[in-house]
Amino acid sequence: MSFYDFHIHSAFSEGESSLEQLASTAKHLGYKGICFAEYYKNDAQMKKLKIEIEKIKDKIGIEIFLGFEARDLKELETLRQKRRQFDILLAHGGDLKMNRIAVETPEVDILTHPEMDRQDSGLNHVLVKLAAKNNVAIEINFREIIISSKKTRSKVLENMQKNIKLCKKLKAPIILCSGAISHWELRDPKTLVSFVSQLGLELKEAENCLSKIPENISKQSKERRSEKWIMPGVKVIR
Amino acid sequence: MKQTKQLKILMPTLREKERYIAFQVISEEQITYSDLEAAVWNTMLDFFGEYGTSKTSLWLVKNLYDENEQIGVIRCNNKSVQEVLAILSLISRLGDIRVTFKILKISGTIKGLKI
Repeated sequence: MSFYDFHIHSAFSEGESSLEQLASTAKHLGYKGICFAEYYKNDAQMKKLKIEIEKIKDKIGIEIFLGFEARDLKELETLRQKRRQFDILLAHGGDLKMNRIAVETPEVDILTHPEMDRQDSGLNHVLVKLAAKNNVAIEINFREIIISSKKTRSKVLENMQKNIKLCKKLKAPIILCSGAISHWELRDPKTLVSFVSQLGLELKEAENCLSKIPENISKQSKERRSEKWIMPGVKVIR
Repeated sequence: MKQTKQLKILMPTLREKERYIAFQVISEEQITYSDLEAAVWNTMLDFFGEYGTSKTSLWLVKNLYDENEQIGVIRCNNKSVQEVLAILSLISRLGDIRVTFKILKISGTIKGLKI
């Protein structure tokens, strides 16, 4: 089974490790592909990232996608307009307004940590239904679990379980990501799958969160970047 | 009083079925067996509690830990493999040393691991 990790920060944004360190560790751990989710600064940074990624792809032999994580609504709008220039669009969740806009926007691929810094889980049935309709994957961010402990960790886990329950019920896609900012925070995909299977998912469903769903997102992204694609639901056939 | 006589071995149908998980520790510095054992047990007890841990039959096999290659084997029962793998993902530091684990193989016998 091929596994993907679609939320990794490199030294280009808030990360500590270089693109090469991250890619080689991911390859060693058994990932087929990864996505660098960086914060957007300007077009020059995007161009530089693309060149770096192309170099590493051939050198290490792993599929690498370029993604951008929008931290606020303004950034989301900017990235939405540049959607064809990169692979994956992630929206930094946590804020209720951001969660709502992210699940309403079909251009967004992943809503990252919707429960971050919140007492509640950040999602309700209305938002999850919208996510299912617009095919926005709800992320389970493993870094949030690693960096918390005791009471905070139990609260994070509780919120994640609530979100998983809602997503399962309303058939919204769930994606599992490491959220790593360093190559030491990357985890073996088998251990991640086992961990998520403790949070209310069947083993098969947990595997899908790390393989089938990211694969679908990458396929969708490729389709979206092709010249034939016009808008969601509309593409040139001949 | 010292026990001199051993218990009679259970019938195969009554014995607990075991699984051996071979793993590699990827770390900044070399990790000793005692550090690893403490980390595994503490994480297991913190996350699943004493009752949850008791159901896993967890054991880190000492004589199969290779300090140079950083390869080790954890034994547990066949129903607790996912729990044991889950706690390996939760170990991010051993003291000040940052670590991550790579799962090499899971087998029902030590021979089957071929490490």
